Amino acid sequence: MSLVVGVDIGNSTTEACATLVGEHGEMTFLSGALGGTTGVKGTVENVSGVVEVVRRALAAAGRDPADLAAVLVNEATPVISGLAMETITETIITESTMIGHNPDTPGGAGLGVGTTVAFAGLPDCAAGSAVICVVGAGVDFEDAAAGINAATLRGVRVTGVVAHADDANLIANRLREPVPVVDEVTLVDRVPLGMRAAVEVAEQGRTIRTLSNVYGIATVFELDPEQTRLIAPVARALVGNRSAVVVRTPAGDIADRRIPAGTLTLIGEQTKRSVEMDAGAAEIMDTLRRVRPLVDAAGEPGTHVGGMLARVRDTMSELTEMPVDGVRIQDVLAVDTFVPQRITGGLAGEFALESAVALAAMVRTSKGPMELLAERLRAALGCEVLIGGVEADMALLGALTTPGTDRPLAILDLGGGSTDAAVSSGDGAHSVHLAGAGDLVTNLIDSELGLDNLELAEEIKKFPLAKAESFFHIRMEDGTARFFQEPLPADAFARVLVLTDAGMHPIPTRHGVEKIREVRRSAKHRVFVVNALRALEQVAPGGDIRHLGFVVVLGGSALDFEIPDMISEAVAAFGVVSGTGNVRGTEGPRNAVATGLVVSHAAARAVMERALHIPR
Amino acid sequence: MRCTSPGDRPAGRAGRIPPAVVLLHRHGDPRVLREILAGLEEEGVPCRTEEAADGGARELAFAAAQVSSLGVGVGVDAMGNTCVHHAKLPRDAPAAAGPAGSARVMGHNAARLVVRIPFKRQEDSHA
Repeated sequence: MSLVVGVDIGNSTTEACATLVGEHGEMTFLSGALGGTTGVKGTVENVSGVVEVVRRALAAAGRDPADLAAVLVNEATPVISGLAMETITETIITESTMIGHNPDTPGGAGLGVGTTVAFAGLPDCAAGSAVICVVGAGVDFEDAAAGINAATLRGVRVTGVVAHADDANLIANRLREPVPVVDEVTLVDRVPLGMRAAVEVAEQGRTIRTLSNVYGIATVFELDPEQTRLIAPVARALVGNRSAVVVRTPAGDIADRRIPAGTLTLIGEQTKRSVEMDAGAAEIMDTLRRVRPLVDAAGEPGTHVGGMLARVRDTMSELTEMPVDGVRIQDVLAVDTFVPQRITGGLAGEFALESAVALAAMVRTSKGPMELLAERLRAALGCEVLIGGVEADMALLGALTTPGTDRPLAILDLGGGSTDAAVSSGDGAHSVHLAGAGDLVTNLIDSELGLDNLELAEEIKKFPLAKAESFFHIRMEDGTARFFQEPLPADAFARVLVLTDAGMHPIPTRHGVEKIREVRRSAKHRVFVVNALRALEQVAPGGDIRHLGFVVVLGGSALDFEIPDMISEAVAAFGVVSGTGNVRGTEGPRNAVATGLVVSHAAARAVMERALHIPR
Repeated sequence: MRCTSPGDRPAGRAGRIPPAVVLLHRHGDPRVLREILAGLEEEGVPCRTEEAADGGARELAFAAAQVSSLGVGVGVDAMGNTCVHHAKLPRDAPAAAGPAGSARVMGHNAARLVVRIPFKRQEDSHA
């Protein structure tokens, strides 16, 4: 019997499998271990990570490192992906024509139309004139209400109020004549005065009806068809708000423009095609399908897509120490997304959802200095170090140790940077590496929820949500309640929480549980389901997923609480048996390559043994 | 949750105590009390004000929460220090507390405790 450890150096984790291999190739698996990969996969910086993980595996097995006969390492080709995101639309307000935001508590209800006048200018207004009063910073609510009431008594028709502070109800409650009041307008000083304006506040639980309707605005301001056409984007931007202000300035406008995103050129082995970035993800992926296999991709210089690909190349060349022009993009995944962005020219910090395209690119670099790595490992561990077979072959062998699997078997490896698939065929494995995986999902969640916090986005990706309903209980996203002995912290009160294994973290946005859950699931779907089908299609015999027998899902993202189900559901349509791997019946979707290395080693040993004992 | 008239109200009208946050203060600065009440009113939550003989902001807030039919109390000491408490919370763990300068926000948060929306932070207010 000899003690061997199979080691899989992955992009983010290094995994080990300690096993006793007998003379006839029989295996007794002892333990598995997992640690972080040190440095870029396939370089000598991996040594310390490997040594650590081997030490842990042996410790878990209760074995003396001195008994170690050999360490088996996979042939590691670094596959690295990069990603970039660019908005392709932009909303700009010129000359401050509208305020469309959702203060928590606007006051009053209804629609008011009049000429904008500063609060200080109210006494100068002529009786009978219709005005919208603009209350600036520092005016107390009682003074504001008293001033407006005095004007009303004089016969001035104050039809609406725009206020700076969070004062709307305080003012509205003190008015003799109830009018709509919109508050929390941060840049109230920039509201143009002496212009015709409309203020609308909807009843609680409703949204505005007049200012979100283009003909409503046309009626209020008596617009002709041409002017109505110009004001249309304003109405669209106000849809769904509980309160809004529209000021009609002569030159005012709100523009909804598309940013020239540039052309993406996909260079295949046979042909070359170009596609406009703003055509959207579907069009880009369709073009990719027609030029596959991809040799490289290029972006039009001076445009957004040019910048995106340049960033990917720079990152790659930095990581791999390759010259920038030596970096070849071998796959791209385009995903439609949206980004909440502060509207240029807005007066109350309004946001608009802008369309964007996220692009993940995958680069396959030259084979790492494996011999050098093996040599360093030999010195560090003091035992034999063998470089094993191709990674995909090893992963397939490892996946086959999942109970209930058989050939023909395909694996789907869901990682952080790439989605890989391999299928065993007569002459070894056929494998693909595709761009887009866990990291892209994290980025989509971060930008679509406007978090600007990748750590939190990562937690939202990995863990379920809940809402703090009282100081002592939370409502989980599936509707069940969970109770606590100790009161929850005040910053969690009434917030949506993400239930990480390190405790509950409040999500500081106004999005509800449903919205966050929807963004999370949709991001996973757009990346993993799309890539799973793309990957299986490329490795399946004849490009038909139906011809695969068993699909085993592996990799870190296979541990996710919902991704494997989404993939099973999508693949089930093809009549294929698909599920999350359980390597050696104990390891779950982890440790496949490390286990495969040992299995391959044991098989080779058995063959040798038989050859030596053939009776002559 | 529309606000009816705020401030003092004769308790026990028609034999029932109307739902309200209770504010207990000790010769509180009227300006501080006004700000707290304004915060509550803006959120549309009714409040009843009572004067207490002694106690710190936290004790007053806890006592107020116990008598409030909404389970939420606000305490203000002679210095204007303000504390917001909930009847179900441990005595020494109030929901929020702050100096006189934060009175408006404390009023908002007492109301938000009732209507169950996330607290307002001092830096969010424009005042």
